[in-house]
Amino acid sequence: MSLLELRDITAGYDKNVILKNLNLNVEKGELVSLLGPSGCGKTTTLRLIAGFSEPISGNFFFNEKDYTKIPLHKRNFGFVFQSYALFPHMNIYDNVAFGLRQRKVPESEIKTQVMEMLHTVDLDGFEKRLPKEMSGGQRQRVALARAMVINPDLMLFDEPLSNLDAKLRVQMRVEIRKLQQKLGFTAIYVTHDQEECFAISDKVAIMNHGVIEQMDKPAEIYNHPKTEFIARFVGFENFMDLTRTGAGKFETSVGNGITVTDDIPGDKLRACIRPEDIVIESEGADAVNAIRGQINVQTFLGKRTQYNVSTDIGELIVSTAQENVFSVGDNITLSLTPNKIVLIP
Amino acid sequence: MNWIKNKAWIFMILPGVLFLAVFMLIPLCTLLIATFFPNEGTFSLSAYGDIIKSTYFQQVFVRSLKLSILSTLICAVLGYPAAYYIAKFSKNKGMLMAFAVFPMFTSPVIRSFSWMVILGKKGIVNKLLVSAGLFAKPQSLLYNEFSITVGFVQLFLPLMILSLIGVLESIPDDLTLAARNLGCTAMETFVKITLPLSVSGLVTGSVLVFTGCITAYTTPQLLGGTDTRVLSTMIYQYAMSLGDWINASVVAVIMIIVTMLISSVFNAVSKKVNPLT
Repeated sequence: MSLLELRDITAGYDKNVILKNLNLNVEKGELVSLLGPSGCGKTTTLRLIAGFSEPISGNFFFNEKDYTKIPLHKRNFGFVFQSYALFPHMNIYDNVAFGLRQRKVPESEIKTQVMEMLHTVDLDGFEKRLPKEMSGGQRQRVALARAMVINPDLMLFDEPLSNLDAKLRVQMRVEIRKLQQKLGFTAIYVTHDQEECFAISDKVAIMNHGVIEQMDKPAEIYNHPKTEFIARFVGFENFMDLTRTGAGKFETSVGNGITVTDDIPGDKLRACIRPEDIVIESEGADAVNAIRGQINVQTFLGKRTQYNVSTDIGELIVSTAQENVFSVGDNITLSLTPNKIVLIP
Repeated sequence: MNWIKNKAWIFMILPGVLFLAVFMLIPLCTLLIATFFPNEGTFSLSAYGDIIKSTYFQQVFVRSLKLSILSTLICAVLGYPAAYYIAKFSKNKGMLMAFAVFPMFTSPVIRSFSWMVILGKKGIVNKLLVSAGLFAKPQSLLYNEFSITVGFVQLFLPLMILSLIGVLESIPDDLTLAARNLGCTAMETFVKITLPLSVSGLVTGSVLVFTGCITAYTTPQLLGGTDTRVLSTMIYQYAMSLGDWINASVVAVIMIIVTMLISSVFNAVSKKVNPLT
């Protein structure tokens, strides 16, 4: 049995259902991210695990015990808030010591642990400061320290970096990952930032409309999305309907022959490909998976140039590292790289 | 030009300061100075000495202080839960706020007369007490400290509620959740987080209620009658009934000093509990 199991969880407010029969398993020592657009239910899931709200139905098991009805203050989970939620009337020392005092740890022991934790998050000498006297990044680290010092059975992160500037965000996510691997805690991490989530997680669960559409290792999700929603989310911009003509052979709605390396069962399938995996060539060139088209829009993106190409199967978006080879109005041939085409069941 | 820009605030506060200086500070100083010259031109503290030694004054002073502090406490105890509910749970905040403030739309005179009807010998309270068998005959609920306290609480409770709603609303829910998450029960969270963070509202409310009570004139005059005098009605008695303006001024000065003292005590307590205020 996994360390954490959500079984058939349904949750919501009033008549507004946010989670529908959600299932989630997290193994000990893993960092699992919940990723998805706002309103997908990721924060609701996290708050439910923390005990801030109760599910309408379903069960939550932790360490083989039913936690569904256990009140939040008895769960021993660390929670890092997006707003940090530091107690403004207490100094940093008292903030970090709060959970330990609540656990009736002797004051001398508290002192050792708090100092050690402040050292871990690189905040030596800040004990006497008030939260308002610290920068966003520092407050974030206090919040981390306060959650970790209680030696929680599970760490929960609710978009902890979204209030920081871009540079600090990258720095902090590395810090969090380092701490997680050093201390070996199990963590659930909610974010809407795809890059952050791929960088930090062992596994990513992508959520949409209250269900987990796919949960896998980051590379697996990036290369083999299982649904069109996920494909779009991880950067596939070109979609087409294919009909099978043979093993690994398909044709488009207008009859272009398409060869696909990664074949999956099914006769009528949806296929997708990233803009950078389409090669753009001059009209009439001899190419595999050739589709003819005309350039509609040319967008210069710095390292690459993006073309919006109108074809018989709709507009395709192509991105190439070559510069200024083609211009708007040119008739061209597109070649879809066979091993980059992903079929969606 | 720069000087004007940097000192613009001076011009902004000037009208208010001028108004207060002419209509408040100057009269107040005249009043204060007069109390030191009770015998036409010779400086003396005898006016203060005489009044402080009078047992009548002592009785009224203690009663005034007692009723004001008691009413403030009752307002805090009654107002906190109401404000907490309105700030944190209510779906219809605007309407509840309107209800809370509604009593302030009628004048204290009308409200005091209403209490005279309610608390009178033939009032609803006495009728209930008698019909419930608690008393054989109607009790005198009027013209005593009880009726004044009832009047005060009803008069000033909205001020307490309004002061508290503001601070309670400004406490993010994440803070209470964080405390709960770190192992606090709901009650511990209230004591360690919500109460200290709302103490500034409690202090503001208490200062407003206390100064309101100690300076209120209509309510104690109508509900306290001649037997239950407080400082403000005493001033009126000295000035209007006895024509003794010196003693009226002395009582007024003592009242101001007490009010300021109590306010600073409240503020000191607040600083101690929550260093942010």
